[in-house]
Amino acid sequence: MIEDMNLTRIENTTLTRRRIGLLALAIVAVVALLVSPYRDGITSIVNVGFFNTALVLSVPITLAGIGGLYSEKSGVINIGIEGFLIAGAFTSVLVTGATAGSLGADNAVWLGLLAAVVVGSVGALVFGVVCIRYKADQVIAGLAVWFIFLGLAPFLSRVYWGNINSPTVATFNQVAIPILSDIPWIGRLLFTNYPTTYIMLIVVPVAWYVLKHTSFGMWVRASGEHPESLDTAGINVNRVRYVSIMISGALSGIGGAALTLSTVGQFIGQGQTIVGGDGFIGIVAYLMGNYNPLGTFAAALLFAGLDALQLRLQQIGLDIAPELFGAVPYVAVIIVLVLFGYTRIPANAGENYESGDD
Amino acid sequence: MTHSVELTDIRKTFPGVVANDDVSLSVNKGEVHVILGENGAGKSTLMNILYGLYQPDGGTIRIDGEEKEFESPQDAINEGIGMIHQHFKLVGPMTITENIILGSEPKKSLGMSVDMETARREVKELSERYGFDINPEDAVEDVSVGVRQRVEILRALYRGADILILDEPTAVLTPDEIESLFVVFDELIEQGKTIIFITHKLDEVMSVADDISVLRDGKRITTIPAEEATNNRLAELMVGDEVLLELDRDPHPKGEELLRVDDLQIEGDDATLVDDVTLSVREGEVLGIAGVDGNGQTVLSDAIAGLIELDDGSVTFDGEDATEWGRNRLNDAGLSYIPPDRQEQGLVMNFDHGENVILGEQHTFPIGRRMRDDELAEEIVAEYDVKTSGVETSVKSLSGGNQQKLLVGRELERDPKLVIASNPTRGLDVGSIEFIHEQLLSARRNDRGVLLISSKLDELQQLSDRIAVIYEGEIIDTVDPETVTERELGLLMAGQELVTEETDSVSNENTLQAKRIEDENK
Repeated sequence: MIEDMNLTRIENTTLTRRRIGLLALAIVAVVALLVSPYRDGITSIVNVGFFNTALVLSVPITLAGIGGLYSEKSGVINIGIEGFLIAGAFTSVLVTGATAGSLGADNAVWLGLLAAVVVGSVGALVFGVVCIRYKADQVIAGLAVWFIFLGLAPFLSRVYWGNINSPTVATFNQVAIPILSDIPWIGRLLFTNYPTTYIMLIVVPVAWYVLKHTSFGMWVRASGEHPESLDTAGINVNRVRYVSIMISGALSGIGGAALTLSTVGQFIGQGQTIVGGDGFIGIVAYLMGNYNPLGTFAAALLFAGLDALQLRLQQIGLDIAPELFGAVPYVAVIIVLVLFGYTRIPANAGENYESGDD
Repeated sequence: MTHSVELTDIRKTFPGVVANDDVSLSVNKGEVHVILGENGAGKSTLMNILYGLYQPDGGTIRIDGEEKEFESPQDAINEGIGMIHQHFKLVGPMTITENIILGSEPKKSLGMSVDMETARREVKELSERYGFDINPEDAVEDVSVGVRQRVEILRALYRGADILILDEPTAVLTPDEIESLFVVFDELIEQGKTIIFITHKLDEVMSVADDISVLRDGKRITTIPAEEATNNRLAELMVGDEVLLELDRDPHPKGEELLRVDDLQIEGDDATLVDDVTLSVREGEVLGIAGVDGNGQTVLSDAIAGLIELDDGSVTFDGEDATEWGRNRLNDAGLSYIPPDRQEQGLVMNFDHGENVILGEQHTFPIGRRMRDDELAEEIVAEYDVKTSGVETSVKSLSGGNQQKLLVGRELERDPKLVIASNPTRGLDVGSIEFIHEQLLSARRNDRGVLLISSKLDELQQLSDRIAVIYEGEIIDTVDPETVTERELGLLMAGQELVTEETDSVSNENTLQAKRIEDENK
């Protein structure tokens, strides 16, 4: 076993080398394209607006992904984050729409966001109780979460608004941060954004820091790898897991609200709802990011970028089937998992833990 | 002298079992107190109670004279108790430092984050104080078992433990590592710590103990000072009126050659695991394979049983070339396998008896029939003396000995021509050991072949017709159990060739190891 580990270490170093190689290749390709005759065509598609769209699209993926990775790192696989995104998207529209009249649009959107966080956390707590207290299979319970919200949100939408899609409600306005937003390019990309995008930009480094440098982060990692070690150290394993699951619910709630309250202003209940698989792409993102919040963000940006590219191509009349783009993340994750294989799933993810078990 | 730990009338019952039957025990400060008992005697339960992992049904715990109640390990840790479990509680991908501080992390930035620098320094200082040679930056999964144990000890000391409980710490160690663990004991005692050392190995007890408490069937039988103890007396106290029988191994005529292995070679990732092994087993013969664990014997038995593909060489079973057969076909042809790890390889823990006894035969059942055989299970339970609350309970609930009996029963009841038994009595109590030995000998009487892989010399000598010694993947000698001495076997297992004038040419280290093996068999 020890030999095995050494082997993976050696593989990891060659992997890093390979990754650096790939990165170099990518940079060369980009530079080549920018000096090539296609330059004008490319820059008309890939401009600040494109990156801004990608950033906005990455918000639900990143937040759901980071939530999912916290949960899984602690030992509870939460594939229900898609469901919690739907719950967040629906709740935020419902509450914003219902309170805009009395509180004013500006307050109502924040209340909508808060409500999405509450519903996400409480829903996740229920999911946690089912998995931890009643020892349900986590994957099945997670699927159930998705199915429940996939059915419940459009149903409630029909009951409340008489239509599977909600009417349009107030949305967040983009906030330009003084001075910083005046920086050319960067200012528009990073410092003229929706509040939900800022939240994501703060969550990413904080999530990384917490996981790597705080006691709670250590407990989360230990809880998913070897819960007995945490238990014998006097830390309550299930408490750590409950907190992690609720983090995943809360972040997914924000992610769902970001979908509706930034830009669209509407809950769409058709098909896969407005969420449309962002939760699953979030899972793909944290797997590709090897359970690192920064890596998760990078992967989410990549997938959101593909999505933005597809929108862009449609705008200029190049109609490539969106389904093809939609499949890319899933194909990519399989390639990454099979060819690179550096993703390391926590040893005890999916296992129930009971104190005193030997 | 104050008692560091005083347990009074500790009682703990699990469904159907009294694990601790009003156990009282006093441990003196600054001493090594050994708790000796067979598997299932209740040693670990008692210590898990002292560590707060289990709550007792009755009784009191006093630490330094004060009555305490432990509802969780945290309570016990706060009272200066540390436990080193038999199965390490360490997080593989984390560094040694992270593992040691887990749950008691030093903080910086107003308590927001873990102060890794302080942690590293403290771990370094602590390990130097006790003479441990470790690198705090190594990931736990990259270091040897001996080092992991030290990490466990450091983890307890880091939390300020004054009383260290070690649950069968030597079970996973090599002889060298055991020696150095006992040096660590001396160091700890010198620093004023109290050690509670749980074991079932007699030879270890005498060398380190101050006091010895013997547990049997959940009761404390007695506590005696080490000076008054002898191996025989302790063995008697441990097993009660059970005594190891001299086994009746009559000479038995050997028949046809059943199994022939030629030039078998298995390559590992970076080393040859089994190197050019040739052996044969005939009808009515027990071939023993002796070796210190980790010298390729498990790989060899898996390979012969058809679980691993050979890199070179051939296996002939009952006159036919069986090199390519695989486990299923070999099984059907009459080669049974009792694997070394009953819980991982032998049985499915969550299956009940009826489901477990058909494993290996499941493909011969007509499709549609229920995948179980309760009649066979009942038969094995009766014939192999499996103590169970019913064949429809999962085998997880059985004690190790009874699991093993069920496994041995399954493998022998299918009437094989040859059975490979890999460490069939590891970790079992004396009664179960005897029973399994008797079954293997009776297989031999019925003209079956037996390939017995074991690390216990007495077992090999009592059962085998010939003993092959494996060292670093090679069979270095084959000896006659009637004439070979335990000392000679010990030398072979340590990789030494046998020489005529033994006393002069043997290094001190090997004498020590041979002595240990001798002691173990007293």
